[in-house]
Amino acid sequence: MLRAVAAGLALASLVVLPAGGAAAAPPAGPLTVVTTSRDLQALVEAVGGERVAVESLASPLQDPHAIEIKPAQLTLLRSAALLVRVGLDHEPWLRRALATAAPGGARDLDLSRTVALLQTETPRLRADAAPHAHGFGNPHYWLDPENARPMTAAIAEALGRLAPAARGDFEARRRRFLERLDAGLLRWRAALAPYHGARVVTMHDTWTYFAARFGLTIAATVEPTPGVPPAPAALAALVERMRTASVRVLVAEPFADPSLVRAVAARSGARAVTLVPSVGGDPDAGDYLALFDLNVARLAAALETAR
Amino acid sequence: MIDLLALPFAACLLLTGIHAYLGLHVLARGVIFVDLALAQVAALGITVALLAGHPPGSPAAYWYALAFAIGGGLLFALTRLRRAPIPQEAIIGVVYAVSAALTVLVVDRAPQGAERIKQLLVGSILTVTGGDVATLALLYTAVGVAHWLARRPMLALSFGGRDLGGPRVLAWDAVFYASFALVVTSSVRVAGVLLVFAFLVVPAAIAALLVRGLTRRLLLGWLVGAGVSAAGLVASYRWDLPTGAAIVSAFGGALALTAAALGARASARAVRARGLAALRPGALALAALVALAGLLLILVPAMDHLWLDAVERAAPSVQEAFLTPGERAAGREARQAVARGEAQLAEMRALQQDVQWGARMLDAEKQERLRQFLAGRGELMAGDRMVLRTLRANARERQRYWLGLPLLALGAGGVLVLARRYLPS
Repeated sequence: MLRAVAAGLALASLVVLPAGGAAAAPPAGPLTVVTTSRDLQALVEAVGGERVAVESLASPLQDPHAIEIKPAQLTLLRSAALLVRVGLDHEPWLRRALATAAPGGARDLDLSRTVALLQTETPRLRADAAPHAHGFGNPHYWLDPENARPMTAAIAEALGRLAPAARGDFEARRRRFLERLDAGLLRWRAALAPYHGARVVTMHDTWTYFAARFGLTIAATVEPTPGVPPAPAALAALVERMRTASVRVLVAEPFADPSLVRAVAARSGARAVTLVPSVGGDPDAGDYLALFDLNVARLAAALETAR
Repeated sequence: MIDLLALPFAACLLLTGIHAYLGLHVLARGVIFVDLALAQVAALGITVALLAGHPPGSPAAYWYALAFAIGGGLLFALTRLRRAPIPQEAIIGVVYAVSAALTVLVVDRAPQGAERIKQLLVGSILTVTGGDVATLALLYTAVGVAHWLARRPMLALSFGGRDLGGPRVLAWDAVFYASFALVVTSSVRVAGVLLVFAFLVVPAAIAALLVRGLTRRLLLGWLVGAGVSAAGLVASYRWDLPTGAAIVSAFGGALALTAAALGARASARAVRARGLAALRPGALALAALVALAGLLLILVPAMDHLWLDAVERAAPSVQEAFLTPGERAAGREARQAVARGEAQLAEMRALQQDVQWGARMLDAEKQERLRQFLAGRGELMAGDRMVLRTLRANARERQRYWLGLPLLALGAGGVLVLARRYLPS
């Protein structure tokens, strides 16, 4: 089946090739940009405005590691002028997709190169510390709002290269976005300042960047390997430490196993709070800034009642 | 340990109670995969519920799952024809594959549920609640009582004997599959597909291997289910393993042990009857394996020779004999360095954890130094491990002929001698 699809695509590519060559001339309409996540889509839209048409391959609550790409998305990848992705080992499915539908001359923008990564211990060291899915550093770097600066800079630069005429426009939009981001940072820092140094336990390794930015300490992770439930002894030790260290907040993602969240919260006496790791993961997290407004409000409320 | 494992164990007992019984039916009917198929149909029901706007954990989702599973069960009852041109397993397999595919198609329309559905299929026996256990107890008791009341037609249908008339077969088959669907849908929510399958098939299979008669098989199945799930739970606690997977593996181990014991008994009988000649086929297989191991060592010394690694771990001299004195000293040093490094890393990691938990205080600069120390230590140890790997590779190059050739000769000679009897003279 796969092979048949691949063969079909190969045939299609032969047919489309001349048209693809013609498309190399400066495009008239908006630039087609494909991103691998809704967060990156939000950032590209913030910089590109109506000059770009952005599609995300993953929906906000899908497991970003396990996407099954669809024919329409392959077509999109082929016709896109720019591919923006999280990088690291966040999109293992992308390599195969690109091999089948290498976008004709599209630029590939790996945003992980633009930020300072956390948890970059080498895979072999990680392997003997604890099983861990992120061999090349933690990929959830978009959850530090400060990282939006270098990320949007790289996006503006890439867009500017594809549409040199609009370069000034992209820069201006980016400046306006960063002004709103700065205002947001003031707001979020102020909201979380009373809880500086507070300890939380998270379900998964998603919140490392977020916690580092806002001065929270992640004491432990319930499921170090996503999808593999913790062993009973590990769970017992974790709950015990949560009690003695009086960690009162458990941060969960919307896709975390609800029965595990319930069990840890009930046994440790901690309050579970669901934070959204991706734009669109909640109706109230419609864009990049709203994502942080929502998460900071929820977290501050949880930390306040837990005090 | 007790407080953490008490509820999961209670759930395991309940699961054993109903599934060991249903397992006997399933084995007798030869519809082993009906359980997986119904679980998958139930998952499809949950996905459809999701599309209709009900979250996966809600009661509505459960009713959807149940309705779908019972529908699937009725389909199986309908397709159990007397002289069917295809085996029923074919239909069960098709239902499994198609419902799994439909789940993917439906989930694609409502992506936010994909994770939850995966979790439902994996289950989480460790985090089962008192409410779950009480519900299961009530439900399974009801199903058990119903089966007891209807035992005569049920047993006749599954285990043969009396032949019932046509429409009555269909009716009782429908009852059987509907109750089966009810049990599977409820169990999978708590324990996950794999564990439920293990509870269904393994105790019944072990009992069928060991004793005759339905009552004795049922009693033995219950004992086996209770004992093995307790062993799996304890192993999961003792060795830090994910609980559901540990119990499933324990069931697999129990079945393998039973089969091995039966095999050993059969060989012992054969030896008593026919002398050592009865062991010839086994010896032949062993000799062939030895020859293969020797051949692989000669041909590809760099591949993973797991048996040789194990031998060398047990008796280091097997490797050291092939090393120069200098290499031996380097190996000793590297091993000591790794052991020291591991101890140090464990200590430092404990300190780091204490700091994270707030049990000990460390200023930011010291924390950063600790992090760097851990990273650096890890690199050094990786270097030491590489020394050990290189030494092993050196030894393998020499073992290649000094060990590989004798093994090949021994194994091949053994095969020739033992197989001579089977060859035409």
